[in-house]
Amino acid sequence: MGYKSIYIRKEGGIATITLLQPFLNHQMAMELKDACQEIRWDKEVWVVVLAGGEDFCYGGEGIESQQGIEAIAHLDLPVLASISGRALGLGLALCLGCDIRIASPDASFGFPDLLSPLGGITQRLPRLIGRGKAFEMLLVGEIINSQEALQIGLINKIADNPLQITLDLARRLAQKAPIALRLAKEAVYKGLDLTLEQGLRLEADLYFLLHTTKDRIEGVRAFLEKRKAKFTGE
Amino acid sequence: MNGFETIIYQKKEGIAIVSLNRPHVLNAYNLKMRDELYQVLEAIRDDPDIEVAIFKGEGKSFCAGADLTEFLTAPSPIIAREVRWERDVWGLFLSLPQPLIAALHGYVLGSGVEIALCCDIRIASEDARFGLPETGLGIIPAAGATQNLPRTIKLGWALQILLSGDFFPAEEAYKIGLINKIVPREKLLQVSEEIALKIKSRPSHLVRKIKELIRRGLDVSLEQGLELEWRSWSI
Repeated sequence: MGYKSIYIRKEGGIATITLLQPFLNHQMAMELKDACQEIRWDKEVWVVVLAGGEDFCYGGEGIESQQGIEAIAHLDLPVLASISGRALGLGLALCLGCDIRIASPDASFGFPDLLSPLGGITQRLPRLIGRGKAFEMLLVGEIINSQEALQIGLINKIADNPLQITLDLARRLAQKAPIALRLAKEAVYKGLDLTLEQGLRLEADLYFLLHTTKDRIEGVRAFLEKRKAKFTGE
Repeated sequence: MNGFETIIYQKKEGIAIVSLNRPHVLNAYNLKMRDELYQVLEAIRDDPDIEVAIFKGEGKSFCAGADLTEFLTAPSPIIAREVRWERDVWGLFLSLPQPLIAALHGYVLGSGVEIALCCDIRIASEDARFGLPETGLGIIPAAGATQNLPRTIKLGWALQILLSGDFFPAEEAYKIGLINKIVPREKLLQVSEEIALKIKSRPSHLVRKIKELIRRGLDVSLEQGLELEWRSWSI
């Protein structure tokens, strides 16, 4: 598919989406949306990596960006972000739509301009880092470094070469049962909108659904036979 | 109350101590343990003398997860689901009115983490190692981890732990807020008992009320939660 602002590479169950520009304009948002559609129907893709260049992404074009961010956030498979340089404004909103974030030591995060409430910033940020820090980041606009981002739970890890570490993690995830990964992600996100009791029902139902998969049998057998499981996504 | 095969249940001066006792298999959680745990939890719930309970593991580890040898003969999803809700050990665990303390050491994996998450306070020794390996086995946790973990620690950490299945040491568990305290291995039980004694020294009806209000409050809007808190006074 002739993407201009992003590049997709698929290998070993991993789709790596590289952002070719540090600004989330209308075109990039539409291409991210198309890419997510493509990934969604590709049975060979089990894990997604979203990587920036020198800068991850330092802003976007208001409402135009929204659809790209939501497309990433709505992927049902694990999405890992590799972040170097700046992740600001709607660029930060874009990485909030991912599940796990790995950043370089010199990365920076924040909302330097008071943004229109867009791209999920008023909803995903407080759910991720708590409301005290979210208010501070959104209202005061201070830019924080990787060390602080790690402390407040905004990112998961700091790495000198974030892309390499992110791809290592993606490869480990691609060894796991893909349906289990998707349902685990669903249980967490959907469960947070429910009461604990309802969430426990959801978790149990998704667990019983996995009883019908071949991968469950393979996973348990491989463990008991002390060998590496070979999952097929069935 | 004794004569269990997989659990040692002790009670002294208002404190219940529940020890998972299958040390030869690192206290792997099996059907027998489920049935016995259910009885023990009911006994704790219904015993007005017990003000606080400690959960620990015999031998080298707290609990290395579910006993997978029982997983090969999986019943149909419908049967499994019926069995699960007929005897809802995890719902019972989370509904106990007393504060529960988990004393964790060695491997704390899968169901081990889930038991710890059903407790209110988690103390671990330096040698403890944590992890949720389920997705590498073709399954997801089914004793509450997908719900209790993101309600206990920050969402980003919870997703990483659940999706990656990576093991991590006590130090990291402390940093992300999964455990309340790290202690030397030989002090684990002592520190847990000290905490239990402190809780016990406080008025039991208030301790229970606070646990209930925190747990119920997290499921409702702030306004409804404040209403619950206010009403708890007027009764």
